Amino acid sequence: MAYEPKIVAFLCNWCSYAGADLAGTSRICYPPNVRAIRVMCSGRVDPAFVITAFETGADGVLVTGCHPGDCHYVSGNLKAEKRMENVKKLLGLLGLKPERLRLEWISTSEGEKFAEVVADFTEQLRKMEPNPLRAEVNPRAPENTKDVISKAVKKTNVQYCLDCGKCSSSCPISKLNDAYSPRRTVEKILLGFENRVLSGTDFWTCLTCFTCTERCPSDVKFPEFVRACRRLASKEIMEELCAHRGIPMALSRIMTNPNIKQERMGWLPNGTEISPKNDLLYFVGCLPYFDVAFEDFNLNLLKIPQSVVKVLNKVGIKPAMLRNEKCCGHDLLWTGDLENFEKLAKMNVADFKKTGAARIVTACPECYRTLKKDYAERLDNFDFEVLHFSEFLSELVDKGQIEFEGKLERKVVYQDPCRLGRHMGVYEPPRKVIGSIPGVQMVEMDRNRENAVCCGVNAWLSCNKYSKEVQIDRLMEAKATGADLLVTACPKCQIHWKCVTSEKLPVNPEEVTMEMRDLSVLVAEAMHLT
Amino acid sequence: MEHAEEEVLRIGVFICHCGINIGGVVNVPEVVKYAMTLPNVVYAEDNLYTCSSDGLSKIKEGIGKYNLNRVIVASCTPRTHEPLFRATCEEAGVNKYLFEMANIREHCSWAHMHEPDKATEKAKDIVRMAVAKVRLLKPQDEPEIEVTPSALVIGGGISGMTSALCLADQEFKVYLVEKEPELGGMLRHLYKLFPTMLNASEGLSKIVEGVKQNKNIEVWPSTVVKQVKGFIGNFDVSVQRENRETANFQVGTIIVATGADIFEPVGMYGYKKYDNVITQFKLEQLLKDNQLKKPERVVMIQCTGAREEKGRTYCSRICCMEALKNAMLVRELYPETDVYILFRDLQTYGREYEEWRRMAQDKGVKFVKYNLEKLPEVIAGHDGKLTIDVYHALLGEQVQIESDLVVLSTPLVQREDAKELSQTLKVPLGPDGFFFEAHVKLRPIDFATDGIYVCGTAHSPKDTAESVSQALGVASRASIPMAVKRLRTEAITAMVDESLCSGCGTCVKICPYGAIEKDEKGVARVTAVVCKGCGICGASCPEKAISMSHFTDEQVVAQALAALGRTVA
Amino acid sequence: METSRSVMVIGGGIAGMQASLDLASRGLKVYLVEKTPSIGGRMAQLDKTFPTMDCSICILAPKMIECFRHPNLTILTYSELQEVSGSAGNFTVKILKKPRFVDEEKCTGCGVCAQHCPVEVPNEFDMGIGVRKAIYVPFPQAVPLKYTIDEEHCLKCGLCQKICQAEAVDLNQKPEVVHLNVGAIVVATGFELFDAQRRSEYGYGKYKNVLISLEFERLLSASGPTGGHLLRLSDGRIPKRIAFIQCVGSRSLKGGVSFCSNACCMYATKEAILIREHEPECEVYIFYNELKVFGKGFQDFITGAQTHWGVKYIRALPGEVAEDSKTGDLTLWYEDTIENMTKSIKVDIVMLCPALVPRATNKEVGGILGLELDENGFFKPKDFLFAPVDTNVPGVFICGYCQGPKDISESVVQASAAAARAAEVIALSSSKGAH
Repeated sequence: MAYEPKIVAFLCNWCSYAGADLAGTSRICYPPNVRAIRVMCSGRVDPAFVITAFETGADGVLVTGCHPGDCHYVSGNLKAEKRMENVKKLLGLLGLKPERLRLEWISTSEGEKFAEVVADFTEQLRKMEPNPLRAEVNPRAPENTKDVISKAVKKTNVQYCLDCGKCSSSCPISKLNDAYSPRRTVEKILLGFENRVLSGTDFWTCLTCFTCTERCPSDVKFPEFVRACRRLASKEIMEELCAHRGIPMALSRIMTNPNIKQERMGWLPNGTEISPKNDLLYFVGCLPYFDVAFEDFNLNLLKIPQSVVKVLNKVGIKPAMLRNEKCCGHDLLWTGDLENFEKLAKMNVADFKKTGAARIVTACPECYRTLKKDYAERLDNFDFEVLHFSEFLSELVDKGQIEFEGKLERKVVYQDPCRLGRHMGVYEPPRKVIGSIPGVQMVEMDRNRENAVCCGVNAWLSCNKYSKEVQIDRLMEAKATGADLLVTACPKCQIHWKCVTSEKLPVNPEEVTMEMRDLSVLVAEAMHLT
Repeated sequence: MEHAEEEVLRIGVFICHCGINIGGVVNVPEVVKYAMTLPNVVYAEDNLYTCSSDGLSKIKEGIGKYNLNRVIVASCTPRTHEPLFRATCEEAGVNKYLFEMANIREHCSWAHMHEPDKATEKAKDIVRMAVAKVRLLKPQDEPEIEVTPSALVIGGGISGMTSALCLADQEFKVYLVEKEPELGGMLRHLYKLFPTMLNASEGLSKIVEGVKQNKNIEVWPSTVVKQVKGFIGNFDVSVQRENRETANFQVGTIIVATGADIFEPVGMYGYKKYDNVITQFKLEQLLKDNQLKKPERVVMIQCTGAREEKGRTYCSRICCMEALKNAMLVRELYPETDVYILFRDLQTYGREYEEWRRMAQDKGVKFVKYNLEKLPEVIAGHDGKLTIDVYHALLGEQVQIESDLVVLSTPLVQREDAKELSQTLKVPLGPDGFFFEAHVKLRPIDFATDGIYVCGTAHSPKDTAESVSQALGVASRASIPMAVKRLRTEAITAMVDESLCSGCGTCVKICPYGAIEKDEKGVARVTAVVCKGCGICGASCPEKAISMSHFTDEQVVAQALAALGRTVA
Repeated sequence: METSRSVMVIGGGIAGMQASLDLASRGLKVYLVEKTPSIGGRMAQLDKTFPTMDCSICILAPKMIECFRHPNLTILTYSELQEVSGSAGNFTVKILKKPRFVDEEKCTGCGVCAQHCPVEVPNEFDMGIGVRKAIYVPFPQAVPLKYTIDEEHCLKCGLCQKICQAEAVDLNQKPEVVHLNVGAIVVATGFELFDAQRRSEYGYGKYKNVLISLEFERLLSASGPTGGHLLRLSDGRIPKRIAFIQCVGSRSLKGGVSFCSNACCMYATKEAILIREHEPECEVYIFYNELKVFGKGFQDFITGAQTHWGVKYIRALPGEVAEDSKTGDLTLWYEDTIENMTKSIKVDIVMLCPALVPRATNKEVGGILGLELDENGFFKPKDFLFAPVDTNVPGVFICGYCQGPKDISESVVQASAAAARAAEVIALSSSKGAH
């Protein structure tokens, strides 16, 4: 195995960089595999840098900072420590050895230590396989903009626009932000001003929540148009507008590499059983990764897949599951990265087939829509029946096969997720399920079902002050119903809402803080399975 | 019926609440009480809705029970219900001309909504005036006339021909008079007809054949109507063919189907200044004759000379569909040509017309909305190209569009010779220049003058399907008098008191209908069936020898005096 | 077989009545079949008509009376078409006369029965806003003015029977089948309203102060449930600001119908003017997308509304309506497409103009007659251009809204057109002998 590992190192200015300098001035030699990047503080090292480095093929990443207590910026290094812990967990989930990421404290005077660390790290890496990832950075083949747009226009009925303005006045963002108007965007496109649109933020502002589509008299599918055009729009602007520094998308892209063998089943509770082959397959989604990335929110997201499996077991099903389940590709598809989306899709479908499953159940509406609609439309050989967990549960309720224990005396209000509701038309099954739990009293928000309001963010884009306003408004609406429990069938909704309530709020926290629960977790609770 | 002069008058007054239209303002019970105090009034009552069948029964009941021989209904305008109440009186045995209406709604409660006391006083006055008149009324008889079962259709376009054929099939004789040498009207010049895209010539030829072969239709091409005398059932029409030959027809009904002209927008958007600014009509011709050279970009401007602030304020209904149709044809012919339509409000009202908008949108036709406040400008550029500078109202920006062919959609306008025809027939033109019907809602194709009807674009802008519908509609209306063969005419006519007549001839000259002649004795004689009852003669006679039945000097003066509180004994 | 010189007209609205009167006046026998207890149709429900602002029932009632009194016209109300056979010149028709439980010969229309009836139900004529009794006439000017018992809600308490001086109540009345032989048939079944609840973003059916056009007409009508007073249904307050929303369900590729309903821009303007007349202090906004001003006098009417009456037209279709549950006040969100701004406005009443759609029962009627319908439920004319009132069945003609969207004037014209064709067919059939 005579490969030379490539190491990317982030050295903090005050301590580690000086330490590396000292190694040089002292003529202490060390393997030349490291490439150093100076940052002011190890706390500056964004997990996204690390992941990008790995995505692009670094075999190892070294992050160095001042010793704890010595940080020039007081506690930047402690933050770095916490972050790199999380990145290691993510690497672990991806099946990339966490050891590829190393965090070291190196002070100004520790030139020797620097050299030792590098030598040791290089040796360690030599013994490991090279990083299977080697993302191509070549730009995509240029496409004929006018062609792509005119195809998208025809496919999504954009040319039938009546200029009525229902879209803009239904759009949760447009109502707050005068600069954004789906109608004007369409008008510009139809008049041939696409370059103005592509170089602006219009295409990245859309929440793709489908409220406009629901109400448009001409059946203009604006979000799908936006999606089709995003591949043409400015990547720079997208990157500016993408929350969480594009990490989720990077993770999805990494999963396209066939050499990635994830370790993502750690959440499976003891006593639960799955099978290598089964008529029913449970598709988890990216929850294991979100659990790490949003640790601070204390959402306990892994309870969702745990609840699902427990319920399935209880009704006699040992579901098939993919040990190397790839991201469904939703975020990539909706941000214009069709190539990687297709890679993920094909890999997933090949794996589905191996399980012999005919039905796929998922508890995430984005996975649900992507599998049921987008996979089916874009792949030739997709003939699986896809159900959202709420639909599956609803079937069980109909057949009388769910046994609830005791009563759950809660007043529940239900949020219709965009992907489950308006995108796919599933409104009643979750309600039927919630309503069937003894003791539960259901109340509705005024804006429900097809009029439900989006949780404010989509595909991690354009999370900004407008999103916050939308989220706060919606949470206040939920709270105002008098319910004490907000139930949703989408983990992303929970994440986005928790994000806004974790921050400093312009309103009294009382008005927006509500206990939240995923539908699957609620059901498992009511069945006394947790 | 013989009516004795010394008849004892028994007047019944029925006062209507009309829901709250009258009763909400006027104190109706008070007016009822007041009515009872008026001379010769033996009975008065109030009703919620006198025009309802319930109310009508009450009138009949009242007539029978109280032996009424004069009836007053105080309610709405006589223009709506006078015929109804008159008929009701007849059924109860009271001659319909012994009935009078007091308008206490349009002229009272509705006009004085915020002054109920004054309105009530006025209502009492109005009732008093009606009583004053009704006491002096005499019964009248309506003479019956025979109806000639033939029709004159003026105009041989699609409307004229359709109504002619429909009547001819019902065995009525039709004289079809057409100004041009050939039949067909506007349809001869059109290419394809929306929305079925049938060739106009194809549709037309079938009908023209049908007309020519129909034994009941006499076609008079190159002919104009010179004079029309008479009245419904008995029109005497003089026509002139090719400025030489004259002829006379006797017809029972007349149908006006003279069509319309297309407005020429001289001075607008560079029309007649630049060669490549043409009308939509011209574009149609070019497409029809396959003479359209490939344009790079066509810009159509809707509402050119229509929907203006003053003058042609109306919408010409069909131009939007014309534009869509021609835009589609241009795109089919030259798929690389861009088409822009500058519009204000797209009139895609018909059943399939919104589909057409979508088809145009599908074919990439671009729509730019402009407002009346900021009209587009056509500016000449170099080498014959034009730039259209327009404020895109929905984008909020000024947009420049380069074009080598500007097409102006102009409205249909009334023909130049319509004024003459309207005078010949004594039928009115409306404020928009088109022929004016009896009632926009419920009598849209009748003229107020009985026996004359109007259809097609002579009435208002419309497309082929609508013209055909209207043409069939007038056929139905015209067939009614011709089918029943006899009609009762107006009883309100002028009467001459020969003993007073000095033979001065003033009335003869002044009568707009030519209803008065001097007889062998040199005395004025009124042809009652021609007389329309206008009364101009009565006001001009120096000897007071001529008067109007039902509007005698006495009766009119009595009303005036009653208005002032003075009752005639 | 001898040609029957009579015509059956299905539908007693303005189109049906006009066709009937034309035919009856020219000497043919006409049977006017109407499924509700009275003729009159939609026009009877309107307050005023555009653009002349005539009181609707005032100009309609004379026609209704004329139909009633015409010696050649037989009105069959509360009746439905059952079966048709034969062909042009000779159709055999079966009509089902539903039992009114009131003897039409004896009933004088005095109304004492209704005064005593203990059952109150929402009045369909008033679009459910007002009430009527189980024994009722739909409206005061009904023709024929005969009472009808609504079997569904009647308690069979017999009070009406006891109190009727004319002994007209017959609780044992049975449905009657009427057989007719006619030469031609004219179909004029009119329209119904698109269910505005389907556009759930506007809250119709949920929010008390969101109304639809016909409900509003009844509110404004002197003979309506509030006696013509403009009030909010939620709290009886006089409104200070009213918004109209056009195109609810019209011109839509989904969630509605694809065509334009023709009359809504105009009738909204009409209602707006009436509001301004009733309450000069009340602001009126009309939210529209395209102003359909194509008819005679339409543009002037709307210009007058803007300049003389101060009705405000905003080119925007609102995205949603929200309600303040405490006050019942409504908030509209719209993008003013001319000013290019998204705004909200608080109003007291929202008036929806729903699409006017052909009746769902056209399928049944079409089935009985063998008529083709298009995808929207309109009867298909034989040739849209040159035979607009003919159908695929010779001898059967269509007119009015059931042929395609149109307003009152055009319905009247088309009714005469259908009458002309019916008369023509009978004439041709007679002259040709056996058909």
